[in-house]
Amino acid sequence: MKEQLEALLQEALAELGQASTEEGLQELRVKYLGKKGAVTGLMKGLGALSAEERPLVGQVVNTVKAKLEETLDARSAEIRAAVKAQRLAAEKIDVTLPGRKRPLGSKHPITLVTEEICSIFAALGFAVAEGPEIELDFYNFEALNLPKDHPARDMQDTFYFGESVLLRTHTSPVQIRTMLKQPPPVRIIAPGTVYRCDSDATHSPMFHQIEGLMVDKGITFGDLKGILTLFISQLFGKDIGVRLRPSFFPFTEPSAEVDIACVICRGKGCRVCKETGWLEILGSGMVDPEVYRHVGYDSEQYTGFAFGMGIERIAMLKYGIADMRLLFENDLRFLKQF
Amino acid sequence: MIVTYNWIKEFVDCDLPAAELSHLLTMLGLEVERMEEVGGGMDDVVVAQVVEKNQHPNADKLSLCKVDNGKEILDVVCGAQNFKAGDKVALAQIGATLPGDFKIKRSKIRGEESCGMLCSEKELALSAESSGIMILPEEFKLGTPLFDALGTKDVIFEIGLTPNRADCLSVVGIAREVAAKLGRKVHYPGLDVAETGAPIEGIASVEILAPELCPRYTARHITGCTLADSPAWLANRLMAAGIRSINNIVDVTNYVLLEYGHPLHAFDFKLLAGGKIVVAAAGEGEKFGTLDGQERELTVTDLTIRDGEKAVALAGIMGGGNSEIGEGTTEVLLESAYFNPSAIRKTSKRLGIHTESSHRFERGADIAGLTRALDRAAQLIAELSGGKVAKGVIDVYPAPVEPRVISARLTRINAVSGLALSAGEVEDIFRRLEFEVTQTEPGVFQVKVPLFRVDLEREIDLVEEVVRVNGFEKVPATLPQASVFSDLPSDAQRLAAKVKELLVAHGLNEVINYSFVAPSSCEKILLPHNDPRSNGMVLLNPISDELSVMRTTMLPGLLDTAVKNISFRTLNLRIFEMRRIYLPVEGEELPREPLYVSALLTGRRDPEGWNQGKEEIDFFDVKGIAENILAELKVGGINFSTDELDPYYHPGKACRILSGKKVLGSLGELHPTVQENYGIATPLYYLELNFEALIACRKKEGAAQVPSRFPSTFRDIAMLLPRELPVADVISCVNGIKAPELEGVEIFDLYMGGNIASHEKSVAVRVRYGSKERTLTDDEVTRLHQRVIDALQKKLNVSFR
Repeated sequence: MKEQLEALLQEALAELGQASTEEGLQELRVKYLGKKGAVTGLMKGLGALSAEERPLVGQVVNTVKAKLEETLDARSAEIRAAVKAQRLAAEKIDVTLPGRKRPLGSKHPITLVTEEICSIFAALGFAVAEGPEIELDFYNFEALNLPKDHPARDMQDTFYFGESVLLRTHTSPVQIRTMLKQPPPVRIIAPGTVYRCDSDATHSPMFHQIEGLMVDKGITFGDLKGILTLFISQLFGKDIGVRLRPSFFPFTEPSAEVDIACVICRGKGCRVCKETGWLEILGSGMVDPEVYRHVGYDSEQYTGFAFGMGIERIAMLKYGIADMRLLFENDLRFLKQF
Repeated sequence: MIVTYNWIKEFVDCDLPAAELSHLLTMLGLEVERMEEVGGGMDDVVVAQVVEKNQHPNADKLSLCKVDNGKEILDVVCGAQNFKAGDKVALAQIGATLPGDFKIKRSKIRGEESCGMLCSEKELALSAESSGIMILPEEFKLGTPLFDALGTKDVIFEIGLTPNRADCLSVVGIAREVAAKLGRKVHYPGLDVAETGAPIEGIASVEILAPELCPRYTARHITGCTLADSPAWLANRLMAAGIRSINNIVDVTNYVLLEYGHPLHAFDFKLLAGGKIVVAAAGEGEKFGTLDGQERELTVTDLTIRDGEKAVALAGIMGGGNSEIGEGTTEVLLESAYFNPSAIRKTSKRLGIHTESSHRFERGADIAGLTRALDRAAQLIAELSGGKVAKGVIDVYPAPVEPRVISARLTRINAVSGLALSAGEVEDIFRRLEFEVTQTEPGVFQVKVPLFRVDLEREIDLVEEVVRVNGFEKVPATLPQASVFSDLPSDAQRLAAKVKELLVAHGLNEVINYSFVAPSSCEKILLPHNDPRSNGMVLLNPISDELSVMRTTMLPGLLDTAVKNISFRTLNLRIFEMRRIYLPVEGEELPREPLYVSALLTGRRDPEGWNQGKEEIDFFDVKGIAENILAELKVGGINFSTDELDPYYHPGKACRILSGKKVLGSLGELHPTVQENYGIATPLYYLELNFEALIACRKKEGAAQVPSRFPSTFRDIAMLLPRELPVADVISCVNGIKAPELEGVEIFDLYMGGNIASHEKSVAVRVRYGSKERTLTDDEVTRLHQRVIDALQKKLNVSFR
């Protein structure tokens, strides 16, 4: 009987080893361990044994039964794992196919640069001010110490609607409007659209500027230098070279152009910087007493500085754009990059 | 303004290399925009000597030479005949690059090897014409680079002058700046004119009839002149400055103009009727032929130089053809005068003549120093043309101008600049600038400014001079002490940025169109002529007709952008622009400039792709964007109306957006005619919102709502409605029921066609019930729901499905 059990166990284990599906396993379970199964049959035969033999054989039967159950379970787990593995393999997708997307929007590079500059100056305590684009001669020229027939008016080709109504040629009239509205101290930044009748690869009839103005007691040209140097290092990086050089604007004195080391050639000289190693990015200076006279500020008591920069110029440097017209062509293939 | 390195060095001792001088000028405010070496990069053209000159065996017109460059003897084939063995010549060696990017290579000419080229002046760009090769002076050393030997190596600086610096429109002026910076003196050339002729009083006379336009007129007379080409040094300098060499007399006037910055004019004296000069206004309508061969019509505000009979020059701008120096000129009357800047500017502008002369007079010439230029020119003309200068100068100067005295305080200089200069340092800077200075009390300067500095009038002008000459680099970079903290960005600024972000989040790309549009743009979007928007502000001097009217609506710009992108096959467009429009206001000079949020969408809703939705954008896409903006900005009392639609909309697929009764904007599908007018194939959806109106209609920020801790219950209602009945009526009917447990209602299905009668539509809504205190019982919900059903039935007469 013991031998019979051993043989049965071997046979069952062999069959289990060959079973490859859950159904097959279930059949084997029935075949050996079911009510009419082989092991069950043998157990029924235990009664015919002697009292001495019965516990011994019974023990063997139990061992065989336990072994079979254990193997069945293990096999079942193996098969389930294999089935799952197969399913996962079958479910494999091509992950190189593009994902499902919602359309992506974008801000215009001019907006991005404007926001960046405004946020730098906001951190320095400058509030944003605005003014009209269609302006009176008084605010755009007269009050900025640019009387009629002044040769400096040639620097700015102006669009006119009539004798005294024009498209502002710079954001500087916002200075005047701000100072006429409030007494000093003043600390503002004024981004906006400006216009000059000029159109080629480096000029657009419409472009954008940011104007800054700070007036208070004890403000010096050194403060102008400090603020602008700080601003430039925030915008272009800490190690960028900056220089102020004398220039002329009717509404500031002393006046300074601010150059940065060419971001393309790093100061060695290239086509972009016209071999000078420097790029002009800002006009600035100490507010001219004549401007204070027009807005009723006491120039003996208050000093201050003003500066202005072209946003297109900075956007072109930041994004490596050679032709300004690209910024106004509104080609979505271009704009979607930002 | 163009000057050269050597020319500057004639007037000031300066040992700086050209690149450093260029930097020094730039840092003085005389920005060097271009620097170019003359004869630079031509070191391979050297002095050589012809050792042998033999006939080329295979060509009659060529010779075969042996040439010594100081190191070796080279074979060179040459086509010129004007030289002999022993002559020193200019040899372009192999590797040299001549002007015009002509590279010298080893070559075989008619079978004979040639190791270089003997050059003519023309080939070296030393003159415009030449016959034969250049024969060099005997004393030139073999092997020396030619331009070193000639001493014509020079550097051209092109300076971008600011309009205030009239005094630097000359070599002397620039040298003066260099001298001030370096603390040196300018060497003014000695001016002793050899007056070998008869006294000028007996020869010529000058009368000024318009002293306010011409406060000073001086003249000299030179006789016995022989007209000829100018010597090379003179012609070369003019060439460097971009002025064409004409003859030895005209060239001198131009040379002195460049050197002293004072414009001069030379008349052929024999052509001046009565030998006299009268400075007077032109007659109205007077015709005058200028030197450039044009006939000009003058008016009474134009100043002329006249002889006894007629106008002979347009004062300070251009001479006349009738008294021009030319073939046969032997006697010259040389003019050096001062003309009123704004008068010159007016005439020059009106006639469209801009000359070296008018440029300087407009900016203000040196009324005191003009005789220096006169003397210098007379001297040079006499030297170069062999003429005799008459004795004396005619100088009509009825009211001599005194130099300005400006007072300046040391405290002010330091307060504005942030420097800490001493009185001595400041005084030194003034003196270096050739200003006379005294201190009336310590730290208070009385500064007498020479008349050539027309830009200096006030104390602040002197502050700038001190900071400038002292050096901007010496100003310490400091940060101001803040006595004021700025306001936070206003609501409007913050929300404008938020709106842009929302539009970007909805997949829209921002565009920037020009603020000016074509006059036809309003017609193209079907606005009638009497619509105020059809009457935008018109530019007097537009770039082109297409950009001549200030936009009164954002739509045409967006449509133009759509057309352009569609032409590039970008067919799915979602663009927005948030900028101003310009609306004229009756009786006001300036228009209103409201900020508008505008968007245009067409094509597919989703990006193209293998797994993307293929649906086209429709009305509800654009409405959804608008609703999200309104919700985010917390605009209250929103309603949509189909009344008074703008003509550019599809009459059945558009609406106005209102807050209460205030119009905020509109949205919808554009009229098919608009679409046709722009040649766009797919329907277009447009949104415009007046940003200021949105801001004005915001609800007060309320306390945040606490959600209920008990679950809500949902009940659905399916109903049939007349097709014409707006679904909004269903919603407002439900919302109108006063029951705190009724939490909300939304439409979840809409169906038309099929088994629904054509005059009806099927609408399904889901109503939400709940309480903050407890979970509602089924009975309670049922009772509430019945109220909703009753209300719908009673008010709207719907039938339920």
